[in-house]
Amino acid sequence: MKYIEYVNEQIKNTVKDPENLVLFGQNISTGSCLAGLTKGLSVNPTSKIINSTNSENSLCGFGFGLMLNGVSSVFFMKQLDFLLLGIDHLVNTYNNIRSTITNPKSSFTIMPIIVDGGYQGPQSSLNNFADFCSIARIPGYTISTKAEAKKLISTKLISPGFRIIGVSARLFKEEIINVPIIYENTDSSLIQYSNGVNVTIVCFNLSFPIGWNILQNLKKDNIKSSIFNITALTPINWKEILENVRETKKIIIIDDSKSQNLACENLINFLHDNCDIQKKIILKRKIQNNWLHPVSDEMVIDYQKIKDGLQIA
Amino acid sequence: MESESQKNIVEKILRIRLSQMLINEDYKKNKFKIPIHLAFGHEAIATAVSQIMNKNDKLVLSHRNIAYNLARIGKLKPILDAYYLKPGGLVNGKTGSMNLTNVEKGIIYSSSILGNNFSVSTGIAMGEKIRSQEGITIVLGGDGAIEEGSFHESLLMLKSLELSAIVIIENNEWSMATKISERRHSINLEKFAEVYDIKYVKMSGNNPIQYIEKLNSLKQFSLKEKTPVLIEVMVTTIGEWILTTPEFPDGKLINYHAGPAPTVDLEKNTAKIIDDVSDPIFVLEKQVGSKKIEEITKTVLKELNSEIK
Repeated sequence: MKYIEYVNEQIKNTVKDPENLVLFGQNISTGSCLAGLTKGLSVNPTSKIINSTNSENSLCGFGFGLMLNGVSSVFFMKQLDFLLLGIDHLVNTYNNIRSTITNPKSSFTIMPIIVDGGYQGPQSSLNNFADFCSIARIPGYTISTKAEAKKLISTKLISPGFRIIGVSARLFKEEIINVPIIYENTDSSLIQYSNGVNVTIVCFNLSFPIGWNILQNLKKDNIKSSIFNITALTPINWKEILENVRETKKIIIIDDSKSQNLACENLINFLHDNCDIQKKIILKRKIQNNWLHPVSDEMVIDYQKIKDGLQIA
Repeated sequence: MESESQKNIVEKILRIRLSQMLINEDYKKNKFKIPIHLAFGHEAIATAVSQIMNKNDKLVLSHRNIAYNLARIGKLKPILDAYYLKPGGLVNGKTGSMNLTNVEKGIIYSSSILGNNFSVSTGIAMGEKIRSQEGITIVLGGDGAIEEGSFHESLLMLKSLELSAIVIIENNEWSMATKISERRHSINLEKFAEVYDIKYVKMSGNNPIQYIEKLNSLKQFSLKEKTPVLIEVMVTTIGEWILTTPEFPDGKLINYHAGPAPTVDLEKNTAKIIDDVSDPIFVLEKQVGSKKIEEITKTVLKELNSEIK
């Protein structure tokens, strides 16, 4: 099943029954329905689907207003870039609300598509999901696998409080990665899919498919990897990764965000302070001179170089 | 309006004025750690808004929310304690002044960010509709906030979604230290509202009884027709002073925006500060006579001092 088909199916299952739920966003019930993300939604008769105005800032405030008045809602957004217009609400309104309401009864979720497929040019290619979450310590989750889609959408999409759940446009037409979870922390922000003794792989932002490919390639050479995906960005308890790296002593960290400040640096600093690492490979974007032009956003990975770098006999 | 009701309104307005004057005295002595935006001159519209509110109605305020908070609660101490960040204050003293709310009294959101509260109020109004509540959402902004895109966006959303709401713009003709005419082209709110087919009403004169009647009528209209209404109310934020500096030896006008109002003095003044209709207390004097105002002032001031002792 394609990534977008499965994510859409999970959304449909989650929103169909709740009462007094508001789903809103631009073109969510017409045309391509955000490239299939919101296709075929149906809701309880007491709930409402709003094909909204193009007012991203006010739509963010709208969701918080609904939440204040005891009504849960989901704002589906065509591009993460558009959420820049709503940053006032992500920071100021959210801070205002959570400073006084410690146990909210209703939910507000923003679900943007992270346009990371490339060839967008100087605009419309913002992929730095961590930055949005970091500015106000917002719970944020990216969806990379089938297990994450099922878990995060069923437990977070309509759950009291506020969060952002990001999906990757690059993965929409790909077969969704179907691998079972072997460990997850209490809020599903750190998920482990494999346990191996030779190297630890940790994936940030939307880089899990890259990490999974590396794992498969290393496996062919009989190198056994542990792999973790970081779905939420603030705050994270690194204990499980620390324990794993203490065993493997080798780590590959992948972060496909275009930010200057990367979420993975938090982990790197933590590990340096707390364990002995024999080999460390950090895969992040090399920003070229043409990065503001329509170019591929794909990270080029040299598996042989990675394997050689690990120096595993 | 019956004389007993009128007396009640007069007392409420004076209570808001005198409460602010007491806060101002502490403010002048630098007793607060937080910034406070006083609202001398806003008492009539604040009282009128409070008077038309029922149990299900929601009020969404801006940073200059003091008059409305005082009007809704009818007491000084919970607000004063909130300003002193005491746990016994409103919202357990956790918000400061600019975000002060009072959910029990219908004030469910206040924002210090210009224009931020318009869209939040739109969501609150949608919540009323979804839950089939009978309440109306009332949102306050200033003439500075209407320059923000969210004002346009929120009116469009309120109208498009057929939501009952009263959007009140307090026009004091200033944004911080700049007059409208110094900053921008004038905005004709009546024409602005017409573009969205939204009913527009301009109010001025600080007559609380007229304000209450008008607001009640507009509230019923909005609820029945499921449409927002836009009200522009002319106010003077009282508390200006003349600052003399080497650059301005003859003095420069400093309009009141925030902080203490040095020219407002509880010892020297009566409750009234200005001798024209820009001061709601002047309007009350014309309605009930200065002797009555003095009498109620003494009683209310005594009660307030006893309350905060």
